[in-house]
Order: sequence, then C-alpha cells, then structure tokens
Amino acid sequence: MTFTSFEFLLFFPVVVLLYNIIPQKLRVWYLLVVSYVFYAFMQPVYLVLLAAVTGITYGFTRWMGATDDDDKKKRIMIWGIILVLLPLFFFKYYNFVNESITALLTAIGFHTAIPKISWMLPVGISFYTFMSIGYLVDVNNEEVEVETNIGSVGLFLSFFPYILSGPIERAGNMFPQLKKMPTSQPSDLTAGLKLMLWGYFMKLCVADRLGIYVDAVFNNFVNHNGTTLAFATLLYPIQVYADLGGYSLLAIGAARCMGLKIIPNFNRPFFATSMSELWRRWHMSFINWLTDYIYTPLSFALRSWKIWGIVCALMLTFLVSGIWHGAAITSIVWGLVQGVYLSLEALLQKKRSSMESKHNLNKKWWYILICCVVVYLLFAFSQIFGRCATLSDAWIVIRKIFNVRGSLFEEVTTYGWFSILILFVKDFRDEFFPNQFRLFESSHIVIRFISYAVIAFLIVSIGVLDGGQFIYFQF
Amino acid sequence: MERELIIEKLTSIFHDVFGDNSIVLRDDMTAADVENWDSLTHMLMITKVEEVFGIKFKLKELNKLKMVGDLITIIESKLQ
Repeated sequence: MTFTSFEFLLFFPVVVLLYNIIPQKLRVWYLLVVSYVFYAFMQPVYLVLLAAVTGITYGFTRWMGATDDDDKKKRIMIWGIILVLLPLFFFKYYNFVNESITALLTAIGFHTAIPKISWMLPVGISFYTFMSIGYLVDVNNEEVEVETNIGSVGLFLSFFPYILSGPIERAGNMFPQLKKMPTSQPSDLTAGLKLMLWGYFMKLCVADRLGIYVDAVFNNFVNHNGTTLAFATLLYPIQVYADLGGYSLLAIGAARCMGLKIIPNFNRPFFATSMSELWRRWHMSFINWLTDYIYTPLSFALRSWKIWGIVCALMLTFLVSGIWHGAAITSIVWGLVQGVYLSLEALLQKKRSSMESKHNLNKKWWYILICCVVVYLLFAFSQIFGRCATLSDAWIVIRKIFNVRGSLFEEVTTYGWFSILILFVKDFRDEFFPNQFRLFESSHIVIRFISYAVIAFLIVSIGVLDGGQFIYFQF
Repeated sequence: MERELIIEKLTSIFHDVFGDNSIVLRDDMTAADVENWDSLTHMLMITKVEEVFGIKFKLKELNKLKMVGDLITIIESKLQ
C-alpha cells in the first residue's frame, strides 16, 4: 500500500478516526499496530527485521541508560550500531561487495564463486536503520533521555507516514510527542490535509508526468541525441524534487492529521544560491542526519588540518551519502561529485563573501538569478550519475550532451509544463512573497475553498493515477 | 580571564572567520543570526577559538552549544 494507492484512501481516514476515538494511553500501541499492518501490506516477512532492529535499539539504549561509565556507554553504542547495520549491509551491500571482491580476485588470477543473494531489499531499511543509529548516538551524547516504553521505540522506528521514504526522524522530536499523543484538533486536520493535497499534486501532476518523459529518454539513451538528453537531465532534478518532496509532504501531512509534527524535508531547493545552501534545502532530514552523525565528528577529529580537515570530512560524508543512495559505483561517484562541489565552495568561501559584500551583490536580483541557475546546472549534471545504471552509461550520456546535437524529442505534454509552472509559481511566492497572494492560507474562505477545489480537480484530471512507486522506495 | 575580555577576543574571531566586521556578539545569538555561519565555518571558528584561548573542546560539549552565550560560558569555565 502506497500513499497514491486506492487502498490508502480508504485506510487513512479510518486510521485517523479510530486514533481519536480510542483512549489516549492506548494510542502509541494502536499506531504501532497500524504501522506494522501498513508495512505488512508491502513486505510482511520483513516485519521480523523491523522488530529485530527495534528490539536491539530498545535493549541497547536501556543498557546504556543503566550505566554511568562513559567508556562502557560508548562501547555499548558501537555494538548497537554494528548490530543494526548488519541487516542493511546484508540486504543492500552484500552483493556489491561480493562482486567487487570477486572481480578483484579474478583480475589477479584467482577464480572464486561466492554465492549471491537474490532477496528483495526490505522497504524502508535505510531509513529506519539511520533513525535507530541516530537514537543510539543521541543517548550516548546525553541529548535525549532513554525511552522506557518499547511501544514508543517501536512506533518511532516504524511510524507509517515516514517508514517507507522518510523524513528521517529524530528521537528528540518524536519521543516527547509520543508521550502526549494528542487528540487531532480541527487546525491539525486542515493543516495536514492541505499538505497532503499539495503533496499529491507534486507527486501525481509534476513528478509522475515528468517521469514519463525522463524515463523514456534515459531508459533508451542510446537512441537519443545530446539535445534531448540535456533536456531530460534538466528535468530530472524537478522530477526528484516533486517525487520525494511530494512524498515528504504526504508523510508530514498524514502525521499532522493526528496532531504529530514531523520534521521538514525540503525548503524550495532551487532557490539556493550556492551548493551548500542547496544541501540545506534538499532532503534536509537526511543531510542534517549526515551533518550531526558523520560530518561533525569527522570535521572535529580533523580540525587541526583546518580547511583541509573540512574538505576531507566533506568528501567522506558525501561518500557515505552516495553509498546510502545505492550499492553501485554510480552512487559513489554521485556522492563524490557533491563532495567536490562543496569542497571547492568551502575553499573559495572567503573570496566569494568579500566580493559579494564589496559590490553588495546579495541584494541584486540578477546576481541571485545567475547563482540559482549555476547551482541548478551543477546539481542537474551530478544527477546524471544518480539516474544512470552504470558509470559507462553516464559517460555516454555526458559525451552525447556535449557532442551530439539534434532535434528535441518533444513529448512533455502541455499538462506537464502547466504543472511545473504551478509548482514554480507556488515556490516563488513562498520564497519571495510569503505573506502575499495567499491561496491555501487566504483569510477569505471562498478563495481557500476554490484553491483546494482547483488543485483537487487538477490532480484528478491531469495527475498520473496509475499507483506508481516513489523513487526513494528503492533506497 | 574576564567575560568582557573573552567577548572581545571572540568578536575578533567571528569577524575574521565569518568575514563581517560589523558582527556584535549577543548571548542569545545563534548561527541563524550570522551570515556565513554554517556547518563548514563553524568548525573553523571552533578551531580558532581553541588556538586563541589555548583550550580544547570535547565533541560532547560542542553538541550542546546552542547560542553564543553557551560558547562564552564554556570558554570561561575552561579558563578557570
């Protein structure tokens, strides 16, 4: 069951209704059962894995809470992290490591055949594993209290709005809310449903419509010229933004309908004027997780190297980011390209700042526009490695973009352009005129309801309603 | 070292690292109030603070810093 399936439209209102009817003290357990049922609709067998990671997380954090010895606490944390990482490694990286070692051994003359595994990747495993690690580290750093209710730990790791594709939640945000489990207020329901409506628009009208074109081009890149490949490359970041951004809004909105506030994931990324700003606006829950648990400890450990310590920490952090995205060389290259962008930016930061303040550039619209365009182009280029299956495919696409001209394969429909335009106008308004031209938030009830009706009508009339998957389910 | 002297030295570190000589430190100031104060420049600032004051931070202490006032207090406690 996904958010765009017909079953979810029946499932969700019943879940919210029952949540508000049952006594407050049973709500954690109720949502835990609901979340497990939701997961079981997709992969019942892997519930065992989710329950095991929950058991390990609960047991190890309780164990850490029972000791005052900092070194012992740290050792328990490290063993906890290793144990919760084992299933992720086994299901996601085993084949990749296996094939790499086999290829290496073959290259030096040894022929071995270590058996492959061909089980499906458990959905959401990268997300709940990272949430578990975050909680273990937070307990070690004394940033959160140890949660003694196993139901709360279970729900924190499995909450159905975010288990499949994030946002990657934090113990510090969720546990205080799970203690209260408030009754939904009318304001929660309206705020949640508005977010969900916009999330459906982003997913069904923008992401899936662009997906038809981008998939048609990239899945058959050999037969397309450089002009078409360049065009598809430019559209792909918008598709991913609308897909994961749309999913995130559906998750945040669904939780909000039950009075729970989960962390944001996107903040109009394409208005970023630098790569580092883009990464503060794009997949924020993931990048904040990396910053807190990988980048900060690394840059702290390497701080005596000054700026070069920062560069090393950045490269290693984005290497992890690439590996998280997929067990493939393309994902690793994708991560390294981001690391190179950010490292160059860090090295040039002082010069850029002094030039900007000298000429007061940050206030000039044309400078902001140029920066946004350059950042977008750099990001779109890097996404070629995220979209192509192999490094040689990505290399062919890049070579064609720069060498092979031709006429454009024109298949993006008027509906697609119209949807992108609406998304752009909405984000533009939110970025530069947040208190003007309000529609969903208008003080006039008529304007509000007309806006809801128009977006709902667009979803039904031009959305791609085939129950398609979300891009980030594969991670 | 007196708090005023710490603030004076810290101000000059902020001016240098964040490239803005108009920064005036306040206890409740956070990264959101200072342009260019991000996760990259943060560690450069921390390294400079360690150098200038001759102290060493622990990662746990850094994780607990929420605002400039916290930083001043921790420097003060380390110098005593």
